[in-house]
Amino acid sequence: MRNILLTILLAVFAVTGAATIGQDDVFRIAALMPSATNDLAFSQSMYDALVAIQEELGEEAFEFTVQDSTYIVDDAAVALRDWAASGEFQLVIAHGSQYGPIVEELAAEFPDVSFAWGTRQDTFGMDNVYSYAAASDEGGYFNGVLAAHLTETGVVGLVGPIEVGDGKLYADGFANGVASVDEEIDVNIVFIGSFSDVPLATEAAETHIANGADVLTGTAQMVVGPIAVAVANDVLWFGSDASQDELSEDIGVAFQIYKWDVLLLDMIANIKDGVLGGEYYKLTLENNGLVMEFDKDFEVSDELMTAAQETLTGIILGDIIPIPEMMEEEMADEEMEDDGED
Amino acid sequence: MAGRLNRLIDFAPVLIALLLALVVSSVLLIALNANPFEAFDFMLKGAVGSENATAETLVKATPILFVGIGITIAFRGGMINIGGEGQMIAGALAGVTVALVLGEARVPAEMAKTPGAFDLIIVTCSLLGGFLMGALYGGLAGFLKAYFDVNEILSTIMLNQIAVQMMNFLLNGILLDPAEAGFNNIPKTARLVTAAQLPRLSLPIGDPWLFARTRLHWGLIIAMALAVIIYIFLWRTSWGYRIRAVGENQRASSYAGINVKRQMMFSMFLAGGFSGLAGVVQVLGLQYRLQTDGSPAGFTGAAGFNGIVAALFGGLNPIGAIPAAAFFGGLLVGAQKMQRELGVPASLITAVNGLIVVFVVSSEIFILQRSKRRVSVAEQTDESDDGEEDG
Repeated sequence: MRNILLTILLAVFAVTGAATIGQDDVFRIAALMPSATNDLAFSQSMYDALVAIQEELGEEAFEFTVQDSTYIVDDAAVALRDWAASGEFQLVIAHGSQYGPIVEELAAEFPDVSFAWGTRQDTFGMDNVYSYAAASDEGGYFNGVLAAHLTETGVVGLVGPIEVGDGKLYADGFANGVASVDEEIDVNIVFIGSFSDVPLATEAAETHIANGADVLTGTAQMVVGPIAVAVANDVLWFGSDASQDELSEDIGVAFQIYKWDVLLLDMIANIKDGVLGGEYYKLTLENNGLVMEFDKDFEVSDELMTAAQETLTGIILGDIIPIPEMMEEEMADEEMEDDGED
Repeated sequence: MAGRLNRLIDFAPVLIALLLALVVSSVLLIALNANPFEAFDFMLKGAVGSENATAETLVKATPILFVGIGITIAFRGGMINIGGEGQMIAGALAGVTVALVLGEARVPAEMAKTPGAFDLIIVTCSLLGGFLMGALYGGLAGFLKAYFDVNEILSTIMLNQIAVQMMNFLLNGILLDPAEAGFNNIPKTARLVTAAQLPRLSLPIGDPWLFARTRLHWGLIIAMALAVIIYIFLWRTSWGYRIRAVGENQRASSYAGINVKRQMMFSMFLAGGFSGLAGVVQVLGLQYRLQTDGSPAGFTGAAGFNGIVAALFGGLNPIGAIPAAAFFGGLLVGAQKMQRELGVPASLITAVNGLIVVFVVSSEIFILQRSKRRVSVAEQTDESDDGEEDG
């Protein structure tokens, strides 16, 4: 009887063991996002990237799970801890800089789990944390140049979330892009103090139009409001983070699209090689992490296309610096670091 | 026997409501190709399926309980306090300021991160600071209602908005972490020194102790102790009696010599104080710093509103608020697990949660009405008996 039981146990172990070994080839990512996966902005850009990776690697080699709309920081802690403790995921992504303190705490508690978080250049000095950001000032500058060419009233409006992160970079780049074409054009910028307040963002967009703006742009998940205002008032729209082609109907011009899959693929390769973190990634136009895309319904004139190509090439080659002040600060920081090392 | 039967009949609507909520939620889940049995199994596992899940449920329940106690006092005093969110923020702002200032004054820089350090003075002062600021913020709405007849529902909702803008302003200004100044990041305060943090809570069961590896903290014990104290305060002291009397009938209370305006302010003062405690405990026990994404719920987790539901579900009794808060904590934490495991949209989870709340709270209202009817019938019976005796 005892032998029979042992045989059964061994058989069960063999079956489950084989299944487990079979699953080892699958790379699994768990990702936490602050807004909906179809927000046409920050969260959707990450979701689209994960879908793209799955299409590239195949479902048998890559799986992912997400928890979206997690704007409450404490809820984020529950999900991240659950994933880290499960041991099922090779990479846990906290897609939002507000999650940083949680990642810092969990990464210390789970040194064998690889974490990635953004957008921020800070791995907390830990070997199991990747950080990432997007040079959204580059796409902002590009959009700004085109907006300056298209405005007839000489007034353009921008609706931003909180004056931080890639939203601020985009706004600064956009303003500089407009100024590079015509310094006389008014760039009215409003940061509404929230990533998700659609009614407030809608009000801000209406205020821009009431003040004469005939071109609008914006970042973060609340831009669905301003896009609707732009459509209703037949005002041109420039977007960022993800393609807003479907929503912007015939008033969309160009979109800056985040291709997080560029850096995620690199992280996956690193993790497979045993490198769990310690690196900082940045999406740029040069590394194809940022892609500029015209709206399908927008007819691009030759003049505009020339301006677009020149701007794109200039940024990629380094001839155009979207935010010169930032470049100076970065160089100063590097010099200080070099001095310290010396 | 009749009393026991009545209590059983009272409880039945809750179970029926819960069942109905699950049935309607199942329809939604099936519409999205999700197996309802699997979904609710994940919900249960997410809420109490493991040591960590249970701890997270209790962690989630803690601020809801604090707010629920405060709401109970306000509602018992006849005041409708919708300002829990703003009062939580006000309390957190004051509490974190006290903790930062005292932390810097009392703890040497090299000891800032010492594990296990605990300074009773810093923590007590921070909690008191949070309570007082929340109380003043809630008391303001009480003052406006008592002396200018400003509708407290409107004033507390407006004060919520003011509080969140104040938080955004301060976290971008004088409360901004000095190490973050000049950087392009989410506004937040500096991290509290270890001595200013509420210790984690574990129970001497097993090895390691139960909840030793979770985020459960002493805020839960403080909240539960205060629930008992407030129960005694409301039902065993003359102060509590005055609050309840004003809540039942302002005119009769006034004729009885009770200063109605003062009681209205006092009940809102206490309600605000408890919400303020909820805010400061979130910082001291969990987040160790205050940060904002621009929305109130980003920090409060909507506990300011969930506390209202917990208070109603708890029968406007502080002791009843304890299981009610645990129930809603479990509901919120379990729903997240359901979303993660099934990959259903977050909006569906919100809908399922909302359905359960609507059905269960509706059943509570049914029970309250039934209870009132019973009292009324009993009074009428007494009166007719008296009449017959007189006759």
